[in-house]
Amino acid sequence: MVSLRGVAASQGHAHVFETMGTTVSVRFGAEIDAVGIGSVRVALERVKRVFREADSRYSLYRPGSELSQIAAGTLRLSDASEELRVMYELAIGWRNATNGAFTPHRGDGIIDLSGLVKGWAIAHAGEALTAGGLTSWFINAGGDVLTRGRAPTRPWTVGITDPEDRTQLMASVVMTQNHHAVATSGSAERGEHIWTQSPRAASEYLQVSVLAPDIVTADVLATAIVAGGQNMLDLAASTRDVEALAVDHHGILRVTPGFRSALAA
Amino acid sequence: MRARSAIIASLASGAILLIGWQAGNQPTTLTGAVAPSTAPPATAPDGTGPAPSATPSSAPAPSAPVTPAAPSGVAAGTFTGSQIQTPYGTVQVKAEIAGGRITDVIALQMTDQGSTSMEIDQQAVPMLRSEVLSSQSAHVDMVSGATYTTEGYLTSLQAALDAAHFTR
Repeated sequence: MVSLRGVAASQGHAHVFETMGTTVSVRFGAEIDAVGIGSVRVALERVKRVFREADSRYSLYRPGSELSQIAAGTLRLSDASEELRVMYELAIGWRNATNGAFTPHRGDGIIDLSGLVKGWAIAHAGEALTAGGLTSWFINAGGDVLTRGRAPTRPWTVGITDPEDRTQLMASVVMTQNHHAVATSGSAERGEHIWTQSPRAASEYLQVSVLAPDIVTADVLATAIVAGGQNMLDLAASTRDVEALAVDHHGILRVTPGFRSALAA
Repeated sequence: MRARSAIIASLASGAILLIGWQAGNQPTTLTGAVAPSTAPPATAPDGTGPAPSATPSSAPAPSAPVTPAAPSGVAAGTFTGSQIQTPYGTVQVKAEIAGGRITDVIALQMTDQGSTSMEIDQQAVPMLRSEVLSSQSAHVDMVSGATYTTEGYLTSLQAALDAAHFTR
C-alpha cells in the first residue's frame, strides 16, 4: 500500500493519500523550493482536510454523514447545513444545464452528490495550494485532474487511459492556458454509477474525457456526456468552453477541434 | 437528430469528409456534401434522407459533377458544389480531387454565420484511433481515467507515475 511519505519538498516529488474511496496524488512544479517546506506541509494538510471534510459530510458510505442522514430520512433537506444546501442547489443547476443528463438523484430517489463533490473538493484543494503561495502543481483525485502552472521544464501533460485496457494510454493532452482541468468518466469501470437518461439503455459512450477551465465543469460534463450521449456532447461542446474526447462501444472516437489541438505531439 | 447529422455532414468540415473517405464511407459523404439539393428541411422525406437524383427543376445545377467513382478523365481537378440552404445558413463546398480521391474540401460560403454555425464548428467529429494514438508516446505527468477505487489505484498508471516520483 502506498502511503503518504513525510513531506520532502523537492520538486517533482509525489504526495499520495487516500480519501473518498479513492486515491489522491499531488505533485509540484519548479518553484516549490522557493516556497519552503513549512508552507508546503501546511498547504498539503489543508488539501487533505478539504477532502476529509467533504467525505464526512457527503459520503453515502458513512452512515453518520449528513447526506446519509438525509437518505435515511432522519434529517430533512430544509434542516441541513447551508453548505449541503448550497451543494444541492449547485447540483440542481447542473441538472438543469444538462437537461437532466447530470442528476443528483439516484434511480431510487436518494440524493447522491458524489458526482459533484469530488470536483468541488479538488477545486477547493487547489485554492488551498494557491493560497499557500504554490503556483505550479497538479491534483489527481481518482483520475480527475486539476493543474496550475507547469511542470519543471514544460507544460503539464495528462495521459488519457484506454477504456479497453486501463493499463495503457490512449492519448495524452497538454494543458493550455485556458484549460487546466481534465476529467474522465466511463460506463465500464467498476464502481461507476452513471444513470443513463433512458433507464435501461446502455451508455452510448464507453469513456468520455472533458477538458475545461475548471474541474467541476470538466467532471460534471464528462459524467453528463456518458449519460446523455451525443446529444449531450454536442450541447456541451457548443455552449461551453470545453473540449471533449469520447469513445463509443465500437471503439470509434469523436473529438472536438480544441481537444485535437491539445493532443501532445 | 438525423436531419442534424446530415446537415453537419454537409457543412463541409474537412475532417468529417476526409475521415469518412478513409473509413470507406466516401460515396455517402460526397453525396451529402455536394448534392445539388435546395430542398428546405420540410420537404425532405422523413428518415429517408435526400435522394441525390431528385433535383427540383428550379434548382441550380452544380458547376461540376463530383463523382468519386467517375470514369477516367474526370477524376481530378477542383469541383464546386451548388449553394445549399440549410437551417444554419447557406453553404457551398469546393472539393479538390486528384487521382480519383478527395484531397481537400473547403467551405466556400457560410453566410448567416450566426451562433448556430459557430456551434457546429465546435462540435465533436470522428477521429481515427491511430491519429490519437500517435500522441500517447509523449511523456505524461499524470493520468486521467474513469474513477478508480483505492484498490484500483494500486494497479493504475497514476500509481506507477507516483512511484517513479517517490524515489526522485
